[in-house]
Amino acid sequence: MGVRVKTGHTLLAATLGLGMAFGAQAGKYPDITSLPDLKINVAKAELGKRLFFDRRISGDAGIACSDCHKPENGYAHPDALSPGYPGNGHFRNSPSVVNAAHKKVWMHDGRLGTNLNDVTREMLTEDYIMNMDMRVMQERAKQDPKYVQMFKDAGFGEPSNGSIRKAIPEYLKTLTSENAPIDTGKMSASAKRGQKLFKGKAGCIQCHNGPLATDGKAYNTGVPENFDIFLDPMNHHAFIAFAMFQGIEDYMNLKRDPGYYNITMDAADTGKFVTPSLRELKYSAPYMHNGMIKSLYDVVGFYNRGGGKDSRKDSRLKPLKLGKQDIKDLVAFLESMSGDPLTSGKHVWKDPYPAEYPVIENWTQVKN
Amino acid sequence: MSNVIQTPTLLAAAITTALLAGCAGQATSESTAAPAAEKSMAAAPMAMAGPAPLAPLGEPPIPPDNLQSAAKIELGKILFFDPRLGGDASTGCSTCHEPDQGWAWAEDFSRGYPGTVHWRNSQTIINSAYFPRQFWAGSASSNESQARGAARGGVAGNGEADIMEARLRVIPEYVERFREAFGTEWPIVRDAWRAIASFERTLVQRDTPLDKYLLGDKSALDADQLKGKELFEGKAGCIQCHNGAITSDQDFHNIGIPPNKRWEEDGLAQITFRFEQYAKGQTQEGYRKAKSDWGFYYRSKNAWDKGKFRTAPLRYLKYTAPYMHNGVFYTLEEVVDFYDRGGFDEDGRTTMFTENKSSLIKPLGLTDDEKDALVAFLESMSGEEMLMDKPEMPEYAPLFTLAELEAAQEAK
Ligand code: HEC
Ligand code: HEC
Ligand code: HEC
Ligand code: HEC
Repeated sequence: MGVRVKTGHTLLAATLGLGMAFGAQAGKYPDITSLPDLKINVAKAELGKRLFFDRRISGDAGIACSDCHKPENGYAHPDALSPGYPGNGHFRNSPSVVNAAHKKVWMHDGRLGTNLNDVTREMLTEDYIMNMDMRVMQERAKQDPKYVQMFKDAGFGEPSNGSIRKAIPEYLKTLTSENAPIDTGKMSASAKRGQKLFKGKAGCIQCHNGPLATDGKAYNTGVPENFDIFLDPMNHHAFIAFAMFQGIEDYMNLKRDPGYYNITMDAADTGKFVTPSLRELKYSAPYMHNGMIKSLYDVVGFYNRGGGKDSRKDSRLKPLKLGKQDIKDLVAFLESMSGDPLTSGKHVWKDPYPAEYPVIENWTQVKN
Repeated sequence: MSNVIQTPTLLAAAITTALLAGCAGQATSESTAAPAAEKSMAAAPMAMAGPAPLAPLGEPPIPPDNLQSAAKIELGKILFFDPRLGGDASTGCSTCHEPDQGWAWAEDFSRGYPGTVHWRNSQTIINSAYFPRQFWAGSASSNESQARGAARGGVAGNGEADIMEARLRVIPEYVERFREAFGTEWPIVRDAWRAIASFERTLVQRDTPLDKYLLGDKSALDADQLKGKELFEGKAGCIQCHNGAITSDQDFHNIGIPPNKRWEEDGLAQITFRFEQYAKGQTQEGYRKAKSDWGFYYRSKNAWDKGKFRTAPLRYLKYTAPYMHNGVFYTLEEVVDFYDRGGFDEDGRTTMFTENKSSLIKPLGLTDDEKDALVAFLESMSGEEMLMDKPEMPEYAPLFTLAELEAAQEAK
């Protein structure tokens, strides 16, 4: 089962003070600038890459990180609700992990706020994600001579579950936006008009700001529930297990994703989700924590109507009265935050994995 | 914890696992120290009064906090066959305890959770209700705690309690049946283990030829079997450990079973072998050097318990080959030859812990006829094969209607 880490109430406190009119406030928010360079240990990242695409690091060796975070979909998944570990469904959209290494808060509800080592652990051990007993995982890695060599080359010594949880985050660092027009400055005229709207009339910048276009805080935007969480019992049982573990009362009768509420247990936070990054959206449809919005046009349309319906909806969201051209321009701007697809061998492990574990010869003589 | 593996990351992981699982099932429960009473019992010398005689099997004991009921038994039966009581919904109890494989698995090592192989032989469920100590090394103390451990172990069911409980709750027939059997609003996974235990208490066999004979039907055993019985109780000395109604003293002995060669030849088996050393709380040093199953040692941590296993019950053996904790013998003839050679296989292999080998195991000097008679007698401890059709599995169904969800959405 996963780990529940309280990111604390400070997040909440920070968001409450911000309910001001937009427009005039644009200058207050950090610009969407280029992402800083991350120092990467190549050997460790290479090892992490092989692990990320390897199904053998899940309990029944049936699912890899890359099965839910697919390179061709911006390392997200094209289904509204993520697949689950075999025998399970899921209740949230699988987010892009491109630029995850630049974040401070992870998961749609922001429940992990420590580091990617923790996030990786949660992914590996969660029943409905990879259901891996990490002791089995470690012994599998030790049985694969290629891993034994790679761990050594990376300076880890022999394979261990601790170093697996270091190598994968190192690889995640390599998944950073490359050549996005917003970074190279090669933006179309339409995208530039969209950027103005984004910072001005449309008010997006209030929440989507800084290099990742997120302030890392949680808001209620009124995204409609995805009923498939409840109508598909496989999704629902994963959701029940999650809600039970989070300690949410009356979880059997819950008919909505409580979102940020599970961190603060404050009813006012029900239905809040952490502002997502807006980079690489070109590849990562559908959108929102539950995949309820299919295209960027639809997202902009959603905001143009003032967001969804929820009594606790954030007061910043008001009908925007954008025209057809405005909407196109905003979409063009959103697209200008996506770079080249990260689908070549530089980011994707393309060699096949051995179909069987080779035997360790001379077993009775060598140390385990 | 001082003798537990010290690699910090491993330790951290082990602790995490234990914390998160609440109590981590088969694997870690083995590493907790055995109660003092058990230790002293294991260490105690053979009772001076001589072994308990063979006896007909009575009713299985029923724990007062889990009385039998028809509703529980029926529920337990369905659950026993339901693979959703395992991590990826593929591996339930019956997956490794197949009714037509003697309620066990007909290979040396049990099949494992997908992607793994087990490291011990799968035991039959038949008569398990009688054993105060379960598993080859006696690490579980009841059918209830055994079932819980089995569903969760990394190479067995690999299922976490909360996901299994959540699954039961979206299967309306189970919700109904748990309510009837236990009176709870929603299924609770602990009650699943109780129901399965109740079902297992019905899987008993009390009408074997030996039982009939012991109850007075002198024609129930033929001449050969009677001769075997005499050897069993006399020259061959089997009765010293295999005694009483359950044909087991429930004590631990090293009888000289050699390690399974498969660990030298099969990569997947090597993975599980090392995993089990961790899972069973080996020291770092033990983990590095272990090359066979240390048996009862994992619980007692006494050097003299290395290679000791619970005296295996001998009932229903006709259907449960292969034999021994690691399945090294495929026939009862091989088993008898092994004992006749004083605890050596046909290649002269024996336990790696010869210093712990029971002094009761020594060459027997049996003739071929005597060996046949002994096998014939062993077979008289099995009755008819107990087969069972897999019950129909109840289906998942949504708990809410679309209209209810829409109303909730409206009310947001
Ligand atoms: C079965 C599908 C699945 C698999 C396999 C999977 N993930 Fe995820 N991942 C998800 C989902 C769904 C979320 C969002 C969960 C939530 O918000 O509750 C997520 C979230 C994440 C995040 C946080 C992203 C963010 O911006 O907040 C990271 C990082 C991540 N996964 C990395 C990994 C790694 C590394 C692996 C392999 C060790 C992995 N995932 C395996 C489905 C999966
Ligand atoms: C009050 C803060 C706030 C404002 C203002 C805001 N957003 Fe968002 N945005 C969010 C949050 C929170 C989410 C995630 C909601 C969810 O998952 O349910 C989100 C999600 C999105 C997504 C989906 C990203 C993904 O990966 O799924 C897009 C695209 C987006 N916003 C664009 C915009 C645009 C364009 C504007 C301006 C018209 C805007 N946002 C204004 C907070 C805000
Ligand atoms: C992956 C295969 C596998 C699965 C699944 C499995 N078992 Fe077992 N079972 C075994 C093996 C192997 C042993 C012996 C283990 C040992 O001694 O360490 C065993 C031992 C037992 C025993 C002990 C019998 C005795 O004589 O002491 C019982 C009872 C039992 N299992 C019941 C169950 C139940 C109930 C379930 C489902 C909750 C289950 N098993 C699931 C393989 C399995
Ligand atoms: C010192 C005590 C002891 C004596 C004496 C003894 N056994 Fe055993 N027997 C055991 C133990 C302990 C096991 C389980 C060993 C293991 O799995 O490693 C066992 C296992 C068996 C098994 C395998 C059962 C199964 O389910 O796999 C058979 C058959 C058997 N014994 C028959 C005999 C016969 C026949 C004799 C007399 C020739 C005999 N035993 C004498 C202790 C003893």
